[in-house]
Amino acid sequence: MGAKQPYTVLAVDDHPLNLKLIEKALSKEGYQIFSADNGPDARSIALEKLPDLILLDIEMPGENGFDVIQKLKEDATTNAIPVIFLTGVSEVDAKLKGFELGAVDYITKPFHPLEVLARVRIHLKLSIATNSLIQDQAAKLRQVTKAQVAMLPLPEENPHARFGVYYKALQEAGGDFYDILNISDNITGYFVADSSGHDIETSYMTASVKALLAQNCTPVYSPAESMKMINDVLVEILTQGKYLTACYMHINRTTLKLTIINAGHPPVVCLPVKGEPFLIKSDGDVLGIFPDAAFGATHMAVSRGDRFFIYSDGLVESAEDKITWATGADSLLPVYSSLRDVSYDQAPMEMISQLFGNNCCPEDDIVLLCVEV
Amino acid sequence: MDYKYLASKIGIDEEDFMELAELFIATTLSDLDKIKQGVSKNCPQDAAAASHSIKGAAGNMGFDAIFVLAKKMEVEAKAGSLENFDAHIKDLETQVKALTTN
Repeated sequence: MGAKQPYTVLAVDDHPLNLKLIEKALSKEGYQIFSADNGPDARSIALEKLPDLILLDIEMPGENGFDVIQKLKEDATTNAIPVIFLTGVSEVDAKLKGFELGAVDYITKPFHPLEVLARVRIHLKLSIATNSLIQDQAAKLRQVTKAQVAMLPLPEENPHARFGVYYKALQEAGGDFYDILNISDNITGYFVADSSGHDIETSYMTASVKALLAQNCTPVYSPAESMKMINDVLVEILTQGKYLTACYMHINRTTLKLTIINAGHPPVVCLPVKGEPFLIKSDGDVLGIFPDAAFGATHMAVSRGDRFFIYSDGLVESAEDKITWATGADSLLPVYSSLRDVSYDQAPMEMISQLFGNNCCPEDDIVLLCVEV
Repeated sequence: MDYKYLASKIGIDEEDFMELAELFIATTLSDLDKIKQGVSKNCPQDAAAASHSIKGAAGNMGFDAIFVLAKKMEVEAKAGSLENFDAHIKDLETQVKALTTN
């Protein structure tokens, strides 16, 4: 069995004796030591070796310890490395400034090697515990993501719903989700929502809304009544500041009637069998905030083969380019035209690759549904 | 000077301590040159910086007498006074020489 990788410490001091003393004291306890006698070398070694901890002298000619820690903390690669300052016993201001700049501790000079060893051990333990906590939380969030994805219905499991989907959560616990509701043999509901936030609470919201949809989207209630009842419950259960924008599309494939209920969500795009694509705009309040919310409602007759695209704002908005969905949705209409010859189940993926290419990452979560009547 | 005792006092073995003592002597002689240059150019800042360097190293090694003397030199130089430095330098040289004869 191979030996474990040793913990690494970067010692920075302009006095060779101090460096040697630290190296002697720590290396015999199994630590690997990197040394630098000036600031620029220290930063370069920190970037290259990514030590587990840095012992940093304040008083150095040229770039001093404060300059070094400031630059290390500004760099995402090195900003998590714990830094312990080596400082004179009377330099209270220097100690305070060191803490302000992100140091975890200080050791007064002249230092005792055993004290250095003890403090290095303590801060490595703290660092290990913090990293472990972060890893643990990241693992839990990944489980949440898996659970969220598992809740999303797949086109192949719902062939009668005649839809294709592209779904991408940029972070663990994504804010976007969708659901397909088999209300009866000939009536299907399509729900797309975007909740505020990307945290654990958001993932619980996803599960809650899915349950509410199953309870309230039935042949007994009209689409508007279903959304109102879901809103009433969400107003009660959501914490302050949490809300959803949502779009609920209800298709009766026997009567060829379509209803869209819009709750502050980007407009649905209709790509008719004959004719140019157009936006179905209707204003409405978001879900989960107002007890007396008013939602936008659109009722229309449809033909077999008409397609409808429901999506979240990540498809059409860009914070970088200052594009909101109010303007972004219009500009994409020509793209929908180009999807006419693509099958409905492939259309979402084709649209994403046209918009973002293969190498470009969207700025936000995206869900894009293409539904064919 | 009891190197074995000093080594155990700072938690390293005697062989390592001897190696560090040699390094201390070399760096202190270099700092002493800087102090002498500071005195000859009447530049207390240079003398203070070199005294500070000796003070830190001596403190880490447990060379208490040298630490106390270097600290005194640093304080005086920071106050802008170099008038006692000829005596301090001689005193310091004597103490460093004592290390080499051990």
